[in-house]
Amino acid sequence: MAAPGVSCRVFFRTLKTLRRNRSALNTVQEFTNRTTNGSSEISLNNDSLIRRLHSRPSSFQLTCYHKHCDNQHNHDRHHRHQCHIPSRLATSGSSISFSTKSNAWHLVPSSRTLTTSPLYFSKVTPSSMADIDPYTLVESDMKDLAPDICKVLEIDVPKLEYMTQYYFGRGKAFRPMVCLLMAKVCNNHLNTGEIVLESQRNVAMVAEMLHTASLVHDDVIDAADERRGLESLNKKYGQRQSILAGNYILSKATMLLAQIGNPQIISILSTVIEDIISGEFMQLGSKEDENERFQHYLKKTYKKTASLIANTCKAVAVMSDVEETLVEAAYEYGRNLGMSFQLVDDVLDFVASQQAMGKPTDADLKLGLANAPVLFAAMEHKELQPMIMRRFSEEGDVEYARAMVEKTDGVKQTMMLATRHSEEAVKTLSKFSSCSAREALARVSQILLQREK
Amino acid sequence: MSNVALHMRKLVGTKHPLLKTARGMVFDGNHNLQMKGLFVMLISKAAGPSPQDDFAHEEMVSGVYPNQRSLAEIMEIIHTSYLIHKGVVNLDSVLPEDGPISDMEFGNKMAVLSGDYLLASACRGLAKLGNPKVVEEVASCIADMMTAEFTNFTDPDGKDTISQTCQGFSDWLTQTYFSFGSLLAKSCQSAMRLAGHSDQFKNMAFTFGENVSYAEQLAKDIKSFTNYDESSGLSLTSAPVLLYRERVPAQEYENLEKLWQQGPANYQKIVSLISKSGAISQCKELLAQYRDKAISSLECYSDSEAKSALVNMVTAVSYVR
Repeated sequence: MAAPGVSCRVFFRTLKTLRRNRSALNTVQEFTNRTTNGSSEISLNNDSLIRRLHSRPSSFQLTCYHKHCDNQHNHDRHHRHQCHIPSRLATSGSSISFSTKSNAWHLVPSSRTLTTSPLYFSKVTPSSMADIDPYTLVESDMKDLAPDICKVLEIDVPKLEYMTQYYFGRGKAFRPMVCLLMAKVCNNHLNTGEIVLESQRNVAMVAEMLHTASLVHDDVIDAADERRGLESLNKKYGQRQSILAGNYILSKATMLLAQIGNPQIISILSTVIEDIISGEFMQLGSKEDENERFQHYLKKTYKKTASLIANTCKAVAVMSDVEETLVEAAYEYGRNLGMSFQLVDDVLDFVASQQAMGKPTDADLKLGLANAPVLFAAMEHKELQPMIMRRFSEEGDVEYARAMVEKTDGVKQTMMLATRHSEEAVKTLSKFSSCSAREALARVSQILLQREK
Repeated sequence: MSNVALHMRKLVGTKHPLLKTARGMVFDGNHNLQMKGLFVMLISKAAGPSPQDDFAHEEMVSGVYPNQRSLAEIMEIIHTSYLIHKGVVNLDSVLPEDGPISDMEFGNKMAVLSGDYLLASACRGLAKLGNPKVVEEVASCIADMMTAEFTNFTDPDGKDTISQTCQGFSDWLTQTYFSFGSLLAKSCQSAMRLAGHSDQFKNMAFTFGENVSYAEQLAKDIKSFTNYDESSGLSLTSAPVLLYRERVPAQEYENLEKLWQQGPANYQKIVSLISKSGAISQCKELLAQYRDKAISSLECYSDSEAKSALVNMVTAVSYVR
């Protein structure tokens, strides 16, 4: 075998060429563009969007179109659509509504103004839903989730076993929780009761494992020292074995997935793996053009964060055997929830304290990543744009960007977008028959906006 | 062969320069590592069409089912990503002469991302095969290869070491199985599964892949002693050293370890010590056994060009002077 350093040097050379030649990065994007099977994307017309945001918040409209291989409307991606609300959303015909004040599903009053701090949200507690903790509904399924994952990872090589089991049972287990709740909603819809199938629970485990594996690799790439309140694996054991341990988790997750024995589920979850890595590649590059840049950001966010949640929701829906439109609804719920989740994450990157997050704040900026609040701020302050392009590499860039975000309402606009996605998520739930799990899922999308970590 | 390369590129689906680098890496001058893919293709061809398949002629391309061909490509991709990820360096162990730390960090990033990219492509390819059992088998190969990096044969930086708990040659077999054998053996087995062949065919294909891997690695290990030159270096984890350890008193082995630690100047001495002990000729005997086992596992297939090509390849990879 070649010495370990050799390949890195080779890669470094390649990357030098890659940096010089931006078109190479575009190739990656072209590739990611092509893999749109089953995924949807959001296109925002930024200028009009921002104008609307500033003038009439209630008329905030979002172009939301879906691109499927079998879609007869083959949208040209460069074509700017007039903002419209898809009729599907306008005619929900459900008990879920945002306007009636006494409604349990009431999320955010339309007249409400958003403040820069998400702390504000914790004060808003709609009466009838305040005491539903989504976790309690799936407690029996969640309780042994981490131990069961650890059992899957068991191996007679102590160091490998320790490293791969290291993070499990330490996080929020947000993804498996959503996945299990969605399983209950789907099963309940077909009157099979609010139980979770063994195979659906396995998908929840796979979701957490894939997420953790991607975190392990991310931490190496971002040189993170902390994760889930622990010293990160790469800090503790070095980069090399962390990567290999991450691969081990991935392969065990794939094996668990394969044991379910359903090729369609395997196919759905394999797109997640692809999306996560292509999202990672997208994060390496940015767009010169302002409008494209925001779309690039949204697409990256879908691939990196929302795809996992959306597709695991889709997978459990497929397994419960609900009809096609409901599978689609489950996917849409997960996608909107995932987008909202990441947008709030971006906001927290600015406002949350280091202690609460378990990771340092301003982390994105320091890594050279322009997240949503910065992109919003850059629309008003054009001088931020060269900083975005040079990835905040010069001295004072990070501080300046931070100051500009505080000065403008970048955080507020990001929260509005997140709220919008949350509302969409709740709307898609109306297609399912009512049950406590459905209520919990709606609550999840609300808690997201309020979370402080 | 060029077909595999072509399909591999198509499967990965991009003209990304990193892929070219990755391919350059797997070509080490002596062994084109796509040989593994060729083994899978040839054993698929030797096994022939599925017993239940009446339309085999329409589906098969030059005697191989398209999904078997995909499997061979996926196997190559997985192996490449493994080589790339093995090349991630621990930044704490970087020496000043290796280059600036920031460059090494950047190299790491690229190694991680491109390795992940290949793994993701492999996952997509596997999912497309539509056979959960095959997905499980091939995924377990990845787990095995990762396991090989955490045993007492390698230190955290990926350098060869031998810990005191080493059990001798049986550990060498386990290590070789995890790092190379598992992938080839299980891929050969999965190729049989994809065509719906009998359990006997599957088991024999597995035995073939496993024994070829042992023979190939033994041949490599032996060559590092018989054709010793300063540049290639020695490894304490090679089969002759482990057999030497089993043959001589503990005291003598400790002397050898001391010699080894003193650096490359003593390597010539180590080579002659090991040659004299008879460890090398024992290795050659073992090599012949594994080679013959691999060849005899092909007996279940009827004679064909593909089968004799396999025999020739096994003979070639296990050839030592």
